[in-house]
Amino acid sequence: MTSNVLGVIVLVCLGYLLLTNIIYVVLVAVAAVENGVRRHETASQDYDVLSESRFTIPVSVIVAAYDEETAIVSTVESLLAFDYPEFEVIVVNDGSNDETMERLRDAFELEPYEVFVRHVFTTEDVRAIHRSARRANLIVVDKDNGGKADALNAGLNVARFRYVCGVDADTVFDREALLKGMRRVVQDPARIVGVTSHLTIAEDPERSMAAPKGRRPIDRRPFMAYQHLDYLRAFFNNRLAWSKLGFMLCSVGAFQIWRRDVLEEVGGYSRRFTCEDIELTFRVHERFLREGRDYEIHCLPDNVGTTEGPDTVRKLVSQRERWQRVIDETVWHYRKMWFNPRYGSVGIVGAPFYLMTEVLAPVVEVLAIVSLPIAIALGVFDPVVFGVMIAAIAFMNGALTASAILLDDLQSRTYRPRDLTRLLLLAPLDLVLYRPIIVWSRIKGSWRFLRGDKAWHKFERNERAPA
Amino acid sequence: MDALALRVAVVVLAFALPAWILLSLVIVLGRLRYERSRRKPTAKALGPREADRLIRRVSRNPRTEWRKWRRVAALARLEEAHHPAVPRLIRAVLADPDPRIAAAAVRTLGDIGDDWAIDLLLSALRTGSGPRSRIAAEIERLAPAPGPRLLALARDWNPVVRFWGATLLGPYPELGESSLIALTWDSDPNVRAAAVETLGSRSGAAVEAATLAALDDSEWFVRVHAARAAGRVVGAAAAPTIIRLLGEERWWVRTAAKDALRGIGADAVPSLLSVLTHDDPFARNGAAEVLQDIGFVDFLALDNPSSPLLERIYAAGGEKLREAAEARVVGLEGEGVRAA
Repeated sequence: MTSNVLGVIVLVCLGYLLLTNIIYVVLVAVAAVENGVRRHETASQDYDVLSESRFTIPVSVIVAAYDEETAIVSTVESLLAFDYPEFEVIVVNDGSNDETMERLRDAFELEPYEVFVRHVFTTEDVRAIHRSARRANLIVVDKDNGGKADALNAGLNVARFRYVCGVDADTVFDREALLKGMRRVVQDPARIVGVTSHLTIAEDPERSMAAPKGRRPIDRRPFMAYQHLDYLRAFFNNRLAWSKLGFMLCSVGAFQIWRRDVLEEVGGYSRRFTCEDIELTFRVHERFLREGRDYEIHCLPDNVGTTEGPDTVRKLVSQRERWQRVIDETVWHYRKMWFNPRYGSVGIVGAPFYLMTEVLAPVVEVLAIVSLPIAIALGVFDPVVFGVMIAAIAFMNGALTASAILLDDLQSRTYRPRDLTRLLLLAPLDLVLYRPIIVWSRIKGSWRFLRGDKAWHKFERNERAPA
Repeated sequence: MDALALRVAVVVLAFALPAWILLSLVIVLGRLRYERSRRKPTAKALGPREADRLIRRVSRNPRTEWRKWRRVAALARLEEAHHPAVPRLIRAVLADPDPRIAAAAVRTLGDIGDDWAIDLLLSALRTGSGPRSRIAAEIERLAPAPGPRLLALARDWNPVVRFWGATLLGPYPELGESSLIALTWDSDPNVRAAAVETLGSRSGAAVEAATLAALDDSEWFVRVHAARAAGRVVGAAAAPTIIRLLGEERWWVRTAAKDALRGIGADAVPSLLSVLTHDDPFARNGAAEVLQDIGFVDFLALDNPSSPLLERIYAAGGEKLREAAEARVVGLEGEGVRAA
């Protein structure tokens, strides 16, 4: 009896693994075509014309900052250096307990001004609004703490332009980031309501972005390199394909361009969820599909910046368990979309894909972790077969990861060839060196979701080299 | 079960391991090849066989997106080599229903910049082949500028084309004044807005009258453009009229009015002071905000902190305006401005 039950569990886990990998291979094929198309499109663009044209649509860039004293100045400097005709940068200090506000005040010579703004969204109290004596297009909103969504909504109240770009305070951006994102929007502003793009990670984003393209290093530590690979897989193997298939379900918080009227229409960023980005993307899809409106949300393969990756296992677990929680919260909240033809490819493919590969993954992972050793110990499952299976999964992961590296390299030629070789060699070992941390984070995140925990659990920022 | 699991695992491994090795080789060798090719200068000239191949590729009417982009790349290569077939071939690419493909042809036309290319760009603007904002951006970078040819656009039957005609006349202050003034009465509000905005970079009595009249337009976004234009064209004389817009229902119109008054600067002060006790709170706090932004509040706070006028401004702007001003003044005093 026990061996029969164990046998069924092992088969279920194997079936799940096989099915998800088949889906991933299909997605990679779609992403490869999409990447090729975007590469041609990028080559046909003239960024000089776009960056100087008065017809390029102005953008309000909003940064929500909470206890970001180590990163905030370099992030804002990189935003102000955008090669873009007209934009404003709105930094919202969300009641930081550290020296975020003081650092901003000193670096950008801030002075308080009373600005009568629109009150489209209700937020925590705004203490003061500051303008920079150095940069006319910088506004700093100092407000009581209300969470990232609340801070972004406060920024939306101040924003003047038709498009807004929400960014993270721990990310250093490429000078052409906004041009890269908006070039897709200007082709069809009536239909394209949201755009996100590819970001990479580094222990110290400033140092990484300082290196020229083609010679940019990837962190030496395998722990950081695996996070880099994780990002590559997420953007190139998944989001690019989702974008092509019409169900781009996660406009990442670190770089998300939205048409402001759409955000106002759907009620802005929601405070009811642990994190705001995925939920907002689901909400926009839900609203537009329910009302039968024509729209597009895209993910682009262009590298727009480098965000800070956690440099310890503890910090990584804290970050990834939060991501798992928000995925669970969102997918559960929008359960009426699952397999619902009314929601087109989002309902039939996108939401079920999330349900299967993200929400149910921790359940299957727990089942596998518990049942496989018992099955081997009881002689239900042959250890040799188990070894072959592990090798198969490891090289399957390796092949999928290599696909992501290839797509990225074809698109941007950013990293040194020797770093690419190192990444390729590390890829099959992901299963034993990195995946267990992610599995643990996902299990922890799912458990906290079940307990109704919605706290952010912000981790400490990495130490950075002095400027 | 073992047999089944083993079979599946072996099949997956037989697929995955060679795939990983192959992809790794493609990446490393591909990258090395790229690095080598980057060091070599690219040959601009095309051999006859390559040219024929590229011409065939552009002449075909592809259906898939991938092939369409290959067509665009072939056209770009032919253009780079100044091939005589480009004027004929580019029309087909420009006619592609996909706006992104048409936009690529538009960019090539901008690079060429010859008379025939300008004609094609203007024609594309009329017919809507490709995103009009991209076409307009290319037209604006042409040298020599196509100025007089734009006048016909401002007289087109299609309001979208008239809109772009009015907008593109911006950099030509000597051209089309009467047409633009006439367009401020156009039946299409977008055209009126574009005409008013373009007039905002000009001068003269007729232009002043047209922009002031547009302040009373029935569409709020025309009033937005009119407020900014009147501030620039008419200057201080427009302040008493623009000030009315501070109490507008639409937030964007009030913002435009504030921008215009800030632009006028100290000459707008008398008008601003006159609305500090206005019935409408938007008008009151808008006026106080502009007085703060142009430095009038700081001047009073430094020069005469107990002045009743300053109190009136604080009353209109609210407690936060006072707090902000006091904080700024402390900073200014610290820098010794008062002593200077």
